[in-house]
Amino acid sequence: MQTEKHIVSAFDRDLEGVQATLMKMGGLVEAAILDAALALETRDAELAGRVRAGDAAIDALEEQVQTECARLIALRGPTASDLRTVLSVMRCAANLERCGDYAKNLAKRSLVLNGMMPIEGAPGSIRRMARAVVMLLKDALDAYIARDSVKAQDVRQRDREIDQMYNGLFREFLTHMLEDPRTITPAMHLHFIAKNIERVGDHATGIAEQVIYLVEGRIPDEERPKASGVAALTEASQTAPRSES
Amino acid sequence: MSSETSKMSAQGVQVYYGANHALKDVNVEILDKTVTAFIGPSGCGKSTFLRCLNRMNDTVASARVLGTILLEGEDIYDKRVDPVTLRAKVGMVFQKPNPFPKSIYENVAYGPRIHGLTRNKAELDEVVEQSLRKAALWNEVKDRLDAPGTGLSGGQQQRLCIARAIATSPEVLLMDEPCSALDPIATAQVEELIDELRSQFSVVIVTHSMQQAARVSQRTAFFHLGNLVEYGETGQIFTNPRDPRTESYITGRIG
Ligand SMILES: Nc1ncnc2c1ncn2[C@@H]1O[C@H](COP(=O)(O)OP(=O)(O)O)[C@@H](O)[C@H]1O
Ligand SMILES: [Mg+2]
Repeated sequence: MQTEKHIVSAFDRDLEGVQATLMKMGGLVEAAILDAALALETRDAELAGRVRAGDAAIDALEEQVQTECARLIALRGPTASDLRTVLSVMRCAANLERCGDYAKNLAKRSLVLNGMMPIEGAPGSIRRMARAVVMLLKDALDAYIARDSVKAQDVRQRDREIDQMYNGLFREFLTHMLEDPRTITPAMHLHFIAKNIERVGDHATGIAEQVIYLVEGRIPDEERPKASGVAALTEASQTAPRSES
Repeated sequence: MSSETSKMSAQGVQVYYGANHALKDVNVEILDKTVTAFIGPSGCGKSTFLRCLNRMNDTVASARVLGTILLEGEDIYDKRVDPVTLRAKVGMVFQKPNPFPKSIYENVAYGPRIHGLTRNKAELDEVVEQSLRKAALWNEVKDRLDAPGTGLSGGQQQRLCIARAIATSPEVLLMDEPCSALDPIATAQVEELIDELRSQFSVVIVTHSMQQAARVSQRTAFFHLGNLVEYGETGQIFTNPRDPRTESYITGRIG
């Protein structure tokens, strides 16, 4: 990876600038996910409201990153690792923007859930999953700044754990719904929340892949281990008739 | 788009100017109907290598060229090869437009005439017109072919030199920083021309502008301190160079 400075130092400042904006975005997204999960568990409508309102700041930063990158391409004509840096910043910003949307959605659903019958233990499980995914996101961003492809590979592998947490929650919610139809509405909301958190893990993986692209000049193509949600669904629907009998 | 057949082949080429080891073991295949760009910091040996390809170094008393250079499999340094005939097949365009102090017509007619490529005035007229057309200059000069070539604008003069170089139907066209004395519009016209010429010739261009190399070439060779450091497909060189020296140079970190 490139550590030498450019002869034109303003080029270095521009490149560092867009990456700093990206990291700022990452910080806001991590906080939004954690706050939204906390608001869900503590039934804190005020905090959920703040998360919802805060998404505008994340969107604005994303736009700022894209504009600065377009400018950098037009004015500085980046090549080689500089070009890969700019392209990867743009892609990572898009990943983070989506994560911000999921946090906002979680906050919205938490407000709806506040008015419903609680499902024992579920908000705590969601919050644990949210913490795990934020750790993954944080490690992906750390790997990005450090250009650490080993750490990035680790993030790709660990996304599997998030998938497994999702599958576990999916089964748990299904069990609740089968046992007590009154839980169907809140359990559906909780399921969407869990699914969205699982998607955040995929975006963290996307960022980790950009790290590998930056360092090695190629997007990893080997299939990463995936605990498939579809497989879990098949499995769960097979258990359903048995629980009826 | 670009061909994969080799037009010229350099094997173990080294050049000394007296004691100065200017070029160290260069191996490269110049592909047919392809634009190849040579890039690298000043003094790294780009022009020296370019001049090896049509034996222009023969005219430099202190220069000693080692190794083998083949044009379609034939050794161009073979004793039986006449350098003047070779230079008609491997033409050259220089950095500063250098038309002869003669008419536009005579500038282009010169090569075909000395090489006896045409039998009569009508054929010569035809070659002059076709060369000027290929050089995208015909429409601008067809009404004043008797005017002096030196009276044209810089960009027109450079296209006149290109017309002169292609009038002998070369197989390879060498260009040493052909746009460095031209404004951006004239540069764009020459670049457009280079892209058209590659349907007929191999073009080898030395350029200081990396953007130009990226725009016009399909293959890029990076020279550094007399070594050919990296040679590859232009897109690969500019997005993902393999050698850290290439990376440092094209991203503007070493001069
Ligand atoms: N005619 C010459 N006589 C002596 N030394 C020369 C001559 N031409 C080039 N050199 C030397 O050879 C080296 C490579 O020069 P050159 O091929 O002109 O580099 P470039 O075209 O990459 O700027 C330099 O050290 C230069 O001083
Ligand atoms: Mg030169």
